[in-house]
Amino acid sequence: MQGLHLTSLLSILILMITAFIMPVIKQRQLVTKISLATMGVVLVMLALVAVDVARVEHYTATIGHYDAPFGITFDIGPIEAVVGVLFAFVSTMVVWYASFGIHKEIKENRVKLFYTLIHLLLASLLGIVFTSDLFNSFVFIEVSTLAACGLIAIKDKPENIKATMKYLILSSLGSGLVLMGIAYLYSMTGHLNMRAIHETLQVSVAGNERAILVSLTMFTIGLGIKAAMFPLHIWLPDAHASAPGPSSAILSGIVIKAPVVLLFKVLFMVYGHEILKDTVILNLILIFGATGMIMGSLFARVQTDLKRMVAYSSVAQMGYIFFGFGLGNAMGMTIAIYHILAHGLTKSCLFLSVSSFIEQTGQRDIDNMRGIGREMPITLAIFSLGGLSMVGIPMLPGFVSKWNLALAAIDYGQIFLLLIILASSLLNVSYYFPIIINGYFGNANLEGKIYKSKMKPVRELVPLILLSIMMVIVGFGSGPILDWIASAMPSL
Amino acid sequence: MISFITSHYFQIGTVILFGVGFMTLLLNNNLIRKIIGLNIMDTSIFLFFITIGYTGGREAPIINGAFKGIDAYVTPIPTGLMLTGIVVAVSTTAFALALTILFYERFGTIDLSEVMDSRGD
Repeated sequence: MQGLHLTSLLSILILMITAFIMPVIKQRQLVTKISLATMGVVLVMLALVAVDVARVEHYTATIGHYDAPFGITFDIGPIEAVVGVLFAFVSTMVVWYASFGIHKEIKENRVKLFYTLIHLLLASLLGIVFTSDLFNSFVFIEVSTLAACGLIAIKDKPENIKATMKYLILSSLGSGLVLMGIAYLYSMTGHLNMRAIHETLQVSVAGNERAILVSLTMFTIGLGIKAAMFPLHIWLPDAHASAPGPSSAILSGIVIKAPVVLLFKVLFMVYGHEILKDTVILNLILIFGATGMIMGSLFARVQTDLKRMVAYSSVAQMGYIFFGFGLGNAMGMTIAIYHILAHGLTKSCLFLSVSSFIEQTGQRDIDNMRGIGREMPITLAIFSLGGLSMVGIPMLPGFVSKWNLALAAIDYGQIFLLLIILASSLLNVSYYFPIIINGYFGNANLEGKIYKSKMKPVRELVPLILLSIMMVIVGFGSGPILDWIASAMPSL
Repeated sequence: MISFITSHYFQIGTVILFGVGFMTLLLNNNLIRKIIGLNIMDTSIFLFFITIGYTGGREAPIINGAFKGIDAYVTPIPTGLMLTGIVVAVSTTAFALALTILFYERFGTIDLSEVMDSRGD
């Protein structure tokens, strides 16, 4: 159905339009309702898109009836559909959660701006994922960067300004590199459409090897900065730890995922495996990913601030995704995309529960979280579920990722990579389990704590519970999801 | 080598400018200088794009009077793209400058090295 094909474009347009309606509305309650309704509509639309993709495998939405090499098109296959639904779902839940408590964390007159920024952010992230025009994706990247910076700076504390500055500077470096990479590709091929570039590059590799390598490096480093690839992650802990709770959930859950999806498309759909196998880029990504898995966890271990610890855990988890790409075989790529889903749901769950700990107790230190399980049993249960998924307890999405990543590493032929996965999992245990155990058990920890004394009303916890239910569903239903993603992998 | 330099001097110049801007943005501690570096870097990319689109001896693609055939005009796409690029660069610069003002109000300095704590993590 042709009409349905434009739903993907329409979802972005609705978000952009509502984003700019909000600042002019007076009542905060109305703004919240509009935001929630819009998010719900977008979620339904993207679910329809996914159903449609499942039926016809793949479709293209042309914008303004200009066809592929000249006009901008949205090429939507299973990967884009799955990631799009994930983004919409996480944002809906975060907006729902934020509607109860965001005015306590930021100034009253900035609440409307918060929703505006979230809408702009989601619109640009969906754009990055859907578009098949490189320059268009660059514009969306810039919009998402500025919106994400706004979401950090909205809290107005000195450390927020500092973190935003760091993020903005490094992000601008990344954008500059990406744009230069696009310029190289354009000068070699004369196209901006991904498929057209791919076709032209295949015939004009000879004589352009150096230019191809330079542009590949620019894309990898530029998008690597934005996606917090290990040595380029230095902006992430400050930014994600200082932002208001719902912002952190969105930043860690989905904002760092969009550049990864774009990097995937650039590497495997624009350059293609024929070019990649002659370069060192994939090995480089594999090494960065593996180092990130270990170092991110080691850094997380030594943190005393709970939110910083969860932020460093994101660095480690992004390592898994890059590790999957770096393996370069179909299974590794499939599991990298699956881990985007798994980590997106799990990390937003963790950040939201951590932010309710901080909101209810006023404490940020891990040591002060002892006995929290008696005061806030449900929230800690959700946190534990997320932590267990990160560690890799069977049937949760984190386990599915690790298991299949291990299989992909065996398939790749390097057994020692298994040790890295194992070591990273054990490190995850060492920083998630103490919080859970000290939260629920130990007489000294529980002394003087009153059961359910600091618990939030259950209706405020509904979005968190839904997120964790979704997480479990993604874990249990991993078979069909993996098959569906694998069906879209570019042939090697 | 010499012929490469004489035929590609525009591209070589833009890449040098890109390097200058990139290193200024990365290594300088003064926020205003960082923003200037950002602008140099962006401008070098615009120049690079425009030199790709330029073909010697051709006119701008504006039909004034008779149409002279496709070979008489340069391709308009890079120029059009760079209009968008300039808008993006301006908004990033504006945001960075606004943030610098906030930074100065909070910390009383625009030097990053004075504020950033070197915790090493």
